[in-house]
Amino acid sequence: MNNESQQVVNAVIDGKAIQAPPSLSVIQALWHAGYPRVKGVGCLEGVCGSCRVLVRRKDESAVNIELGCQTLVEEGMQVMFLVFPNPTHHHYRLSHIQNSWDLHAQFHRIFPEAANCRHCGGCTRGCPKGIDVEKGVELASAGRFKEAGELFVECIMCNICMTGCAEEIAPNHVGLFARRVTAYFHSRPSNLIHRLEQIRKGELRIEEDKDE
Amino acid sequence: MSNSRVSYDEALAAYRPLAERPLQEQHDDVDALLRAYHPDYRADTMTTLKVGPNSGEPCHRQLAEVLQADARIDDADLAGGAIVETDVLVIGGGGAGCAAALVAAVAGAKVILATKLRLGDSNTVMAEGGIQASIDKSDTPQMHYDDTLRAGHHLGEKRLVSQMVMDGPDVIRWLIQQGMQFDMDEFGDLLTRRAGGTSANRVCFYRDYTGLEMMRVLREAVQNSDAEVWEYSPVVELMINEAGHCAGAVISNLKDCRYVQIIAKSVIIATGGIGRMHLNGFPTSNHFGATGDGLVLAYRLGAKLRDLDSFQYHPTGLAHPHHLAGTLITEGVRSAGTWLLNGKGERFVDELKPRDVVAAAILKECAEGRGVQTSDGGQGVWLDTPGLELRNPGILKQRFPKLLHLGKKAGIDPHISPLLIYPTLHYQNGGVAISEHGETTVPGLYCVGEASGGIHGRNRIMGNALLEIISFGRRAGAHAAERRHGKGHKRTSIDHLSRLRRELTISDMPMEQKSPMLFPSCAKFDTDVDYEGLRRNRRK
Ligand SMILES: Cc1cc2nc3c(=O)[nH]c(=O)nc-3n(C[C@H](O)[C@H](O)[C@H](O)COP(=O)(O)OP(=O)(O)OC[C@H]3O[C@@H](n4cnc5c(N)ncnc54)[C@H](O)[C@@H]3O)c2cc1C
Ligand code: SF4
Ligand code: SF4
Repeated sequence: MNNESQQVVNAVIDGKAIQAPPSLSVIQALWHAGYPRVKGVGCLEGVCGSCRVLVRRKDESAVNIELGCQTLVEEGMQVMFLVFPNPTHHHYRLSHIQNSWDLHAQFHRIFPEAANCRHCGGCTRGCPKGIDVEKGVELASAGRFKEAGELFVECIMCNICMTGCAEEIAPNHVGLFARRVTAYFHSRPSNLIHRLEQIRKGELRIEEDKDE
Repeated sequence: MSNSRVSYDEALAAYRPLAERPLQEQHDDVDALLRAYHPDYRADTMTTLKVGPNSGEPCHRQLAEVLQADARIDDADLAGGAIVETDVLVIGGGGAGCAAALVAAVAGAKVILATKLRLGDSNTVMAEGGIQASIDKSDTPQMHYDDTLRAGHHLGEKRLVSQMVMDGPDVIRWLIQQGMQFDMDEFGDLLTRRAGGTSANRVCFYRDYTGLEMMRVLREAVQNSDAEVWEYSPVVELMINEAGHCAGAVISNLKDCRYVQIIAKSVIIATGGIGRMHLNGFPTSNHFGATGDGLVLAYRLGAKLRDLDSFQYHPTGLAHPHHLAGTLITEGVRSAGTWLLNGKGERFVDELKPRDVVAAAILKECAEGRGVQTSDGGQGVWLDTPGLELRNPGILKQRFPKLLHLGKKAGIDPHISPLLIYPTLHYQNGGVAISEHGETTVPGLYCVGEASGGIHGRNRIMGNALLEIISFGRRAGAHAAERRHGKGHKRTSIDHLSRLRRELTISDMPMEQKSPMLFPSCAKFDTDVDYEGLRRNRRK
């Protein structure tokens, strides 16, 4: 359309050589070049954690895992999509944890590998949200669930940390467990409970035609 | 009307943050403004439906195109394919679908949740502001009810609204029991804040991440429940039984490119909104899978829809840079006192007016040549964040961390430079008509969440969508689970498609277009060689 959009960079995305303006994300660049792409696309805003891509930049040997909708295409970049993230093998139900005094023991039963963390920092390095994942695992293993959960406020469950953990700890699920038990056992808002009681006793009713 | 639009670079160079910018007195008649510029009121975007249960009623032109299009499959596609049976089939893995699946599974039903891509790819995960529930002592369910109906121009369904607002507090309790956190005060009481157009503090929230927190908790709960989750399995068609009741659905498996029939005693549609249909060419705040599929699926089976001509355009979608176009900037930024400026640096509307009015005013500025033009053909007006910061030093960092984060991605520092914004297609106000249990007019078929209609009338207040999805998701899940005790289907088929094709032919509808859309056109699903296996009958 004009000068600016004529500037393009060359990159290889999913094995296809493409040209696209550098203002596009790698997903948009692929579409721009006329290639279809459905798998692995999600919210396109960096919160659903679906569009995980392997990225190698020009003149770099390191391969990073990043989010495709948040990564702008660059000259000489190579990109591969990762799809179908594997679910974790850890299973639990909050309702089966009867007693919060028992929580620490239950955690190690559900996530037995967490105690084996070798503090390699791989999870933390890979996290696109800058979360101190390793620290979170350490806090949860020590039973400090509230503190651990606080670290995972911005976690989008992209599973990048899980893919990278050689001990199969599933650090993001550890973080989410820590958050969930905090709410499940410790959130007892008195204003909410009071309102539920008022409704249960029939003190609050709606007159549907009152507003006319 | 001069068409002297300034370019982005020119306008930015001329921009200065100022402490004062008086608003010229507004003489515009609001109704006239809406009628002239709000996309809902533009006659050229509307049409009358000719086929199906809403024949004769007004509908958005683009939506009518998919409602009156040919199906993607016929009997040949199903021959020899796998068939699976379940009690409850939930279609869609956002908040509404997860709530329905969890409740149905706990009630003892065998549940399959089929979703288009990954569980949790949804509009739910993107919600920031919060969820309404009448909890504060200065508030009552009656006030919540009155606010909701008033905002919807008194077109909402009273029974549905009163049930939903009474559910509010229990919805919050249920979410906490799933492990969701909310922001609390030092005594552990829930904090609430006020949404535009409401009479009490009623929005419960978790930072700016309410939807993210809700979705990751519900996803984890579903994955740890007895419900079976089928990811990468968009539904392409519903099925009927000998009596014309809903009997299941056909999914297209994106991993092995096969169609699978899921026979179910009840089916719950929870497919969310229509943003990625890009109505009238608007950008959208919605996720990739928001293509209105549920409306098409339900309509073909004979379910009545409502308010098909009413959509919410959020005034502040990012307009530049191109790769982030449509991204939502939360209403809170305007509520905090941020001004909107046209290309000449003038304010043109009271920024605190309702969403539809502000959106229409922005469209007017752009249409009359006072917008700012971007290099890639887009346009917009300024959101004067540096001006806000000048008047309230520190406010951006303190109150809008997500905005600063967005700025970082955009390469723009909102402290120094204003953000270019343009209305973004945000929410589908109407949808499939439902009962208090989420039943549609077709027996065996339920619909919940953004795909359904009737709660919000023609305008939704912030926070009511998240309440609706959990309130009705739980109710429909429980009701649908009960149907497992009923008799099974004698015969299941996609015979309703013969009727559809006949009606389309009689009404002279083009048969080339297929629906549901499944994916936005930019993804080129229909020419993707990876999915060749799903196009057998098309090549014949
Ligand atoms: C950016 C943004 C901010 C918002 N902020 C708020 C807020 O603060 N408060 C509030 O109350 N509301 C807010 N909303 C609105 C609210 O988030 C949504 O209306 C609500 O979450 C919709 O939930 P749902 O479960 O009905 O649909 P969704 O969450 O969109 O889920 C629908 C699911 O169905 C799947 N699906 C679609 N088609 C098919 C198919 N053919 N087959 C199988 N699966 C399919 C989709 O992939 C998706 O997983 C916001 C919306 C957006 C976009
Ligand atoms: S903690 Fe793990 S799952 Fe969460 S955002 Fe970081 S890398 Fe992704
Ligand atoms: S990657 Fe695994 S082992 Fe390494 S620090 Fe993280 S949790 Fe520990």
